[in-house]
Amino acid sequence: MRAERWNVGTMEWLTVLVAVVLSISPSVQLSAQHVSIGPQVAFGDYREVSSDLHYRGGGIGAKATLEWKKLSADIVLSKVKYKPTDAQNGTSQFNASEVDVRVRYWITGPVSAEVGFLNRKADPEFEAQSVGAITMGARMAYLLGPGVHMSLNGGLLFGAKYSGGGTTSGLGAMQLGLGLIVDALKSRVRVTGDYGFQRFSRKTGDGGAALDAPIQQSLGRIGFAIGF
Amino acid sequence: MRHSTWLLLLALLPSPSALGAQTIQNAILRRAQQAFDNLEYRQALSLGQASLRERLNGYDRARAYELLGFTYSGMDSILKAVDAFKQVVLLEPERDLDPNRTSPKALSAFQVALTQILVIRQLRVDSVSFIGGQGAVPIRYTVTQPSRVVMRITGGTLGNMRIDSTVATGQVNIRWPARLPSGDPVPPGNYNVIVEASVGQNSFSTSQAIRVAHGTVDTVAHLTSLPGYTLLAETEVPPKSWRPMGLALVYSGVALAGTSALSNGNLGSASLREGGAIGGGIILAGFIMTLRKPAPQPARGNILYNQLLREQIARRNTEIAQENTRRRQQVALTVAPLPRTGGGR
Repeated sequence: MRAERWNVGTMEWLTVLVAVVLSISPSVQLSAQHVSIGPQVAFGDYREVSSDLHYRGGGIGAKATLEWKKLSADIVLSKVKYKPTDAQNGTSQFNASEVDVRVRYWITGPVSAEVGFLNRKADPEFEAQSVGAITMGARMAYLLGPGVHMSLNGGLLFGAKYSGGGTTSGLGAMQLGLGLIVDALKSRVRVTGDYGFQRFSRKTGDGGAALDAPIQQSLGRIGFAIGF
Repeated sequence: MRHSTWLLLLALLPSPSALGAQTIQNAILRRAQQAFDNLEYRQALSLGQASLRERLNGYDRARAYELLGFTYSGMDSILKAVDAFKQVVLLEPERDLDPNRTSPKALSAFQVALTQILVIRQLRVDSVSFIGGQGAVPIRYTVTQPSRVVMRITGGTLGNMRIDSTVATGQVNIRWPARLPSGDPVPPGNYNVIVEASVGQNSFSTSQAIRVAHGTVDTVAHLTSLPGYTLLAETEVPPKSWRPMGLALVYSGVALAGTSALSNGNLGSASLREGGAIGGGIILAGFIMTLRKPAPQPARGNILYNQLLREQIARRNTEIAQENTRRRQQVALTVAPLPRTGGGR
């Protein structure tokens, strides 16, 4: 179980490292790129196994966006303190630290294909499931007006690994998202709003029969970013 | 001839003052002129002949012969009048009688005199300016008898260059391209246009001084626009529409409906709080964008039109640049006649 988590973490850090190196490397300096980075306020809803394990909370996050020709990438970090909605059922709060990295390639019109990964760690470890998965999907973006962009994205989460074990079928994990970017001051400042919904139809093997242990999270983030 | 006819003739005859600003110097000739004015032809004839035995300057000598010509005409001695006018023409080849103020007898005698001697009259070189190799200098003259006429240009570094040779009578028009045999334009400087006519033993020549100047050929200014064609706006503001609002509703609706549909039933009803907050923001933004003036959109037709126009201007400017390069290698020739200093011989 620990080995699985370590594997996801290694991939995550490698990707972040590559993105950072690409951003600061002189050969691909930012002159040909559009980069924005900024803090966000996060608020979410987390549910696991049954309606009894229901958490809500808030926290902080950060989002970096890199655009270069037809490619663009989002790196989102968030840390949300989830508190149980019903404290009487013996559950306690936990922190969910999530890394969500996505790389997009513009295909045509408003449509882009995206691939990436997400990793969410729960702390304390046994209060909730830590999860890591590869994301693949598509994104549609539309320019609402001068400097106002909205987007809708959806996709599947493949190869999900859980700290508590379990499996998910090929189409059992999916995610949906909504985004809003409002440019101000000639794109130097951006107001960002993001919504992400994840559902993992996790099944755990308990002897012979597989038991449903779904995981579901809705996460909203509102913040701003500085453009370079 | 009746007395009234003589009076009419007298009125038509030119007075000495009309002959020019120069005045008669010789006293005998002045008396002869006075006698002619008083219709005393015999006295005018004897005084005129006497004046010719004096030392006269060229002008007085020409006036003396002219007076004799008029007097002989008045006395109906046409042959003698013609002889007298021949002397006038030899002395002043450019001399012409005013047909409105001269008697027909004198005029006809003068014309007969012109046909009996070889002179070149009214050599004229027009002022002209043209690009070397693309124009010519108009030259014209009148030769009184059929003869071989040779025209030459002398002076400057040119030496002596024949530009025309012809057998002609009457008015002759020549167009001289002002080029050397090598094709180069004539160098700047002062030149003489010499016209020589010869028939048998008789010959006559006259000249006209000209000045040839070189200048630069004007170049053509480059175009910044084509007359009658203006660049069009490459963006146009589309009419207001509810499309942003509609799309915001669709995107938000899809996200919220998707959340609700994908939510696992075992986990209770889906939380739409987060999606609702962001979706609400998007709908609000869509509503504002619907009310706002739409962003200018590229006008494809206008962009293509402007592109064609710019290509046309660029093509024309390329042609102008080539034309200017050629013009900078050309010379603008200006040819102007100089004042005459003497007549022909």
